[in-house]
Amino acid sequence: MNWLADGSGRPVSWKLAKLLLCGTELVTNIQVAIDIREIHRRVEEEEIKRQRIEKLENEVKTSQDKFDEITSKWEEGKQKRIPQELWEMLNTQQLHCAGLLEDKNKLISELQQELKTKDDQYVKDLKKQSDDICLLLERMEEQVKNVMKTFREELYNIEKAFEVERQELLASNKKKWERALQAHNAKELEYLNNRMKKVEDYEKQLNRQRIWDCEEYNMIKIKLEQDVQILEQQLQQRKAIYQLNQEKLEYNLQVLKKRDEESTVIKSQQKRKINRLHDILNNLRSKYAKQIKQFQEENQSLTSDYKRLVMQFKELQKAMRHFALIDDEKFREIWLMNEEEAKDLIARAFDVDRIIHTHHLGLPWAAPDFWFLNNVGPISQQPQKSATQIVEEMLMRSEEEEAEEATSEPESYLDLPKQISEKTTKRILMLLCDESGFLIESKLLSLLLPLEQNECYLLRLDAIFSALGIESEDDLYKLVNFFLKYRAHRLSSSLQIKPCSQASMEKASMEETSTRSELELAEQTEMEGEKEESLVEGEKEEEEETPPSPWVIHPNDVLKILEAFVMGLKKPRDSWAPLRVQKNVCDNSKDSEYWQALTTVIPSSKQNLWDALYTALEKYHLVLTQRAKLLLENSSLEQQNTELQALLQQYLNSKINSELQVPPTQVLRVPTK
Amino acid sequence: MQDTVTTSALLDPSHSSVSTQDKSSTGGHTSSTSPQLSKPSITPVPAKSRNPHPRANICRMRRIIAEDPEWSLAIVPLLTELCIQHIIRNFQKNPILKQMLPEHQQKVLNHLSPDLPLAVTANLIDNENYWLRCCMHRWPVCHVAHHGGSWKRMFFERHLENLLKHFIPGTTDPAVILDLLPLCRNYVRRVHVDQFLPPVQLPAQLRPGDQSDSGSEGEMEEPTVDHYQLGDLVAGLSHLEELDLVYDVKDCGMNFEWNLFLFTYRDCLSLAAAIKACHTLKIFKLTRSKVDDDKARIIIRSLLDHPVLEELDLSQNLIGDRGARGAAKLLSHSRLRVLNLANNQVRAPGAQSLAHALAHNTNLISLNLRLNCIEDEGGQALAHALQTNKCLTTLHLGGNELSEPTATLLSQVLAINTTLTSINLSCNHIGLDGGKQLLEGMSDNKTLLEFDLRLSDVAQESEYLIGQALYANQEAARQRALNPSHFMSTITANGPENSVG
Repeated sequence: MNWLADGSGRPVSWKLAKLLLCGTELVTNIQVAIDIREIHRRVEEEEIKRQRIEKLENEVKTSQDKFDEITSKWEEGKQKRIPQELWEMLNTQQLHCAGLLEDKNKLISELQQELKTKDDQYVKDLKKQSDDICLLLERMEEQVKNVMKTFREELYNIEKAFEVERQELLASNKKKWERALQAHNAKELEYLNNRMKKVEDYEKQLNRQRIWDCEEYNMIKIKLEQDVQILEQQLQQRKAIYQLNQEKLEYNLQVLKKRDEESTVIKSQQKRKINRLHDILNNLRSKYAKQIKQFQEENQSLTSDYKRLVMQFKELQKAMRHFALIDDEKFREIWLMNEEEAKDLIARAFDVDRIIHTHHLGLPWAAPDFWFLNNVGPISQQPQKSATQIVEEMLMRSEEEEAEEATSEPESYLDLPKQISEKTTKRILMLLCDESGFLIESKLLSLLLPLEQNECYLLRLDAIFSALGIESEDDLYKLVNFFLKYRAHRLSSSLQIKPCSQASMEKASMEETSTRSELELAEQTEMEGEKEESLVEGEKEEEEETPPSPWVIHPNDVLKILEAFVMGLKKPRDSWAPLRVQKNVCDNSKDSEYWQALTTVIPSSKQNLWDALYTALEKYHLVLTQRAKLLLENSSLEQQNTELQALLQQYLNSKINSELQVPPTQVLRVPTK
Repeated sequence: MQDTVTTSALLDPSHSSVSTQDKSSTGGHTSSTSPQLSKPSITPVPAKSRNPHPRANICRMRRIIAEDPEWSLAIVPLLTELCIQHIIRNFQKNPILKQMLPEHQQKVLNHLSPDLPLAVTANLIDNENYWLRCCMHRWPVCHVAHHGGSWKRMFFERHLENLLKHFIPGTTDPAVILDLLPLCRNYVRRVHVDQFLPPVQLPAQLRPGDQSDSGSEGEMEEPTVDHYQLGDLVAGLSHLEELDLVYDVKDCGMNFEWNLFLFTYRDCLSLAAAIKACHTLKIFKLTRSKVDDDKARIIIRSLLDHPVLEELDLSQNLIGDRGARGAAKLLSHSRLRVLNLANNQVRAPGAQSLAHALAHNTNLISLNLRLNCIEDEGGQALAHALQTNKCLTTLHLGGNELSEPTATLLSQVLAINTTLTSINLSCNHIGLDGGKQLLEGMSDNKTLLEFDLRLSDVAQESEYLIGQALYANQEAARQRALNPSHFMSTITANGPENSVG
C-alpha cells in the first residue's frame, strides 16, 4: 500500500478525486457564474421593466390628461364666434398637440435609445458568452490535460510501485526457493543413503530367505511326492471301489427301471381305479342328489303330514275336550244316578235299620252323620273357589245371614278350615283392606267412592289380592293363618289355638248375628263396635285362654306381616305344577274312598247284628210259621169239624150229605199250601 | 474522446483489409510488402500440385519468372474471388449475401461501396463494419456511444436526423421521409432533431415589405408557420425510445425573424398525439422551444399514464406554475424517473404542487429545477416533501432565490433522508447561518455524495467542512462499491483518516 500514499500520508485516490473535483468545479464555475449573472440580469431586467411600465403608465396618464384638455378645448372652440379668438385658440391647440407629440416622440426616442443600448448589451453579451465559451473550452482542455497528466503520473507511479514490489517479491521468492531447494537436496541425499543401506539389508535378507526357502521347498517336495504316492494308491483303491459301486449301481439301475415299469403299470392301474372311483363318485353324487331330492320331497310330505296330524291332533284335542266335557257330564250323570241309587239303597238301608231298630229291637235310632252323604256330584269336579268369591260370599253372608240364618249356616261353615272362623277372617280382611290401601290404584279409589261399603270392600280386597298374588281359597286361608300365627308368636303366653275355639267362635258368631238381627241395620262402625263387644263378651263367656282375635293385631303390624307373607308365599308357588298332578290322583282315590265309604255306610257290626237278628228272626219265623201252621191246622180242623158237623147234619139232613162229604185228604191239602 | 473514436475507426478497416490487399496492392507496396508477398507466392504451389503435371508447371513457371520475381502465374485470381468481385460490382441490381459462406460474405461486405442505395442495404446488411464505413464516409465525427454502440443504428438515426433537419414543409416532398420509414423502422431508437425549418419560401419573399406590420401579419401567417408533423414518422418507428426535439432554427444569420422560432399550437397538438400513440417511448425531450404553460399542459396530458416513459425534459422553455402543476400530476400518473424543468418560469405555487406530488412518489430519481424562481416557499415545500420521499437521489435547485429558511429545512432533511446523493443549491442566497445549519445536517448524513453550494453566500469554512463530509461519504461509497461485503469495516477504517483530513 505504500505506493498508494504520497508524502502527506493521504491516499493517492484522494488526490485524484480532489483533482477531478477541482477541475470540474473550475469548469462548472463558468456555468454557475453565468447562471448568477443571468439571475442578476433577470432581476435587473424585471426592475427596469417595472420602471418602464410605470413610466409608460405615467406618460399615458399625463398624455391622456393633455389630450382630454385638448378635446375639451375643441368644444370650447366650437362656441367661439370670433375668428380671431378661434385662430388664437387653434394656435394654442396646435401648440398643445405639438407638445403632446413631442412628448410621445421623446418617449419613443428614449425607448429606442434603450433598445439600442440593449442591442449593444446583447452584442456585448454575445461577445462575453463567446469569451466564456472560449474560457470554458480552454479550461476543459487544461483539465483534460491535467487529468491526463496526473493519471499518467499515477499510472507510472503505480507501475513503478508494482515493479518494485514484484522485484522484492521475486527476490524473496528466489531466496525462499533456493533455501527450499537446498533443504530438498540435503534431504534427497539423506534419503539416497538410507535407501542404499536398506537395499543392502534387503539383499542380505533376500539371500537368507532364498536359502531357507530352497530347503523348505525340497522338504516339501519330498513330502508331497510321498503324499502323491499314497494318494495314487488310494486312487487305485478308489477306482476298484468305484468299479464295484458302478456295477452295483448298474444293478440298482436295472432294478429301479423294472420298478419304474412296475410303478408305471401300477400307476395306470391306479389311474383306472381313480377313473372308476370317479365314476362311482359321480354315480353316488347323482344318487345323493336324487336322495336329497327324495328326502326333500319326503320331508315335504312329512311336513304336510305333520301339519295334517297337528290339525288332526287339534281336532282330536277339541274332540277330546268335547268328550272330556261330555264324559264329565256323563260321569257326573252316572255318578249322580249311581249316587242316587246308592243313596236310595242307603236310605232303604237306613229305613230298614231304623225299622229294625225301632220295631224290632225297640231301640232309639239315630241317623248316622257322614260327610259323603251330603255330597252331590263327583268330588273331583268340585270347583275351587277363588279368594274373592269366598270373600264375597263371606260378605254377602254377613249381610244376609240375618234373613236366612239357619239354612246357610251349616253350608258356610263347611268351606272354612277348622281353626279359623269366618268372623276372624273377616276382621283380618277388613284390617288388611284399611291398612294396605297403597296397593290399590288411585283411579280405582276414585271410582269406588260412590259405591256401597261392602262392594267397596270387595273391590278393594280384589285389587289387594291381585297385588299380593293371592288367587285361590287356599291362599286366602294361608294368609289368614299367617296372621293368626303371627299374632300367636307375639303372644307367647297363649300359644296354642285350640280346636275348640272354633266352636266357640261359631257360637259367638251365631250370637253376634242374632244380636245384629236385633239391632236391625245399624251403622257399620257402630256395628263393628258392637261386634267387638259381643265378641269380647263371647270370649269372656267362653274362657280367658282363647287367643285374642285379630283386633289384637295392631294395624301397624299389618304391613310387616304382609311382607313376611309375600316372602313366604313365593316358595310354595314354585312347586305348583307337580301339585296339580297329585291332586288328580288324589281325587281318584277320594272317589274310590267315597264309593268305598258308601259301601260301608252300614257298619259290619250292624250287619252282624242284622245277621244275628235275621237268624233269630228266621228262627222266630220258623216258630211262627209252625205256629201258623198249627193254627191253620187247628182252624181247618175246627172247620172240618164244623163242616163235618154240618155235613153230618146235612147228611144227616139230606141226601146230599153223602155228596158233600169231603174226604179227609182234601182237608189235609190246605195247610200245605 | 473524439480522437480515440476516430483512431479506432480508422484502425479497424486497415486490419480487415490486410487479407484483401494481395490483389489491390500489386503496384504500391513494393518495399514493405515483399515479405507479405512471399506467402501468397508459396501458397498456390501446393494447390496447383494436385494438377496432372505439377512438376512441369513449376518448371515452366520458374522459367518464365526468372527475370521478374514479382510476376507469377499464381496471381491469376481464384474463381471465387472473381465471383465475389462480380457480386460486389452488381450488388445494387442483384444483392446476394445471405446465400454465401461466412468468409465470402465478409469479403463482399468489406468491398461494398458506402454509397449504395439504402433500399438495397438497409434490411440486408447487418454487418457493423459496413455501416461503420458508411458513417465514416458521411460524417467526419461519429460518437457511436451516443447510439448504443451500433453503427447501423447510428447511420440510420443520423440519416433521419439530417432529413428532418432540412425538411421544409410545403417544399420538400414528405415522401422523402416516409420512403425511408420502412427501411429504418427496425433500427432507429432515438430521434434527435435540433432544428425544424418553417415553411420558408413565400414569407421570405414577402418579408422585406411586411417588416413594418409583422405583429399583425404574424397572427395571419400562424397556420403557415407549422413545422413538420412528426405523427406519421413516430407511428412508423416501432422501436423508438428517445425523442429529443428542439423547435429552433440554426444559422439564420441576418435573416433573423421571431417567427422562425415559433412552436405553434398545431405543432404542439400533433406532437402530443404522436407521443401518446408511441408506447415504446422512454425519453422525451423538448427544449429551447418556447413551450408555454398551455402547450406544456397539452403535451403532459398526452403523457399521462404512459406505460414506459421514464424521462421528461422540458428545460429552457417558458413553463410557469400551471405547467409545473401539470408535471406534478404527471408524476403521480406515470413511472417518470427523471424530470427536468430547468430554466423555466416556475414559481412558488408550481414548486409546491411538485412537492406535493413528490411527497408520495416512488419513481422519480432526479428532479431539476435550475434557473427557476421557486423562492423560499417552494423550497420549503420541497424540503417537506423530501422528508417523506424515499426515492429521489438527485435534486437541482440552483438559481432559485432560496435563502436561510429553506436551508434550515433542508438540513433537517439531510439528517433523515438516506436516498439523496446529490443536491445543488448554487447561485442562491443561503447565507452564513444557512450554511452552518446545512453543515449540521451534513454531519448526520452518510449518503450524500455531491452538494454544490457555490456562489450562495456560504462561509468558506462551512463549505470546506461540508466538502470534507462529502469526501468521507464518497470514500465510503467507493469502498462499498469495491467490496460490498466488508464496507462496514472500511468505514471504521476511514474514520481516523477523515478526522485527520
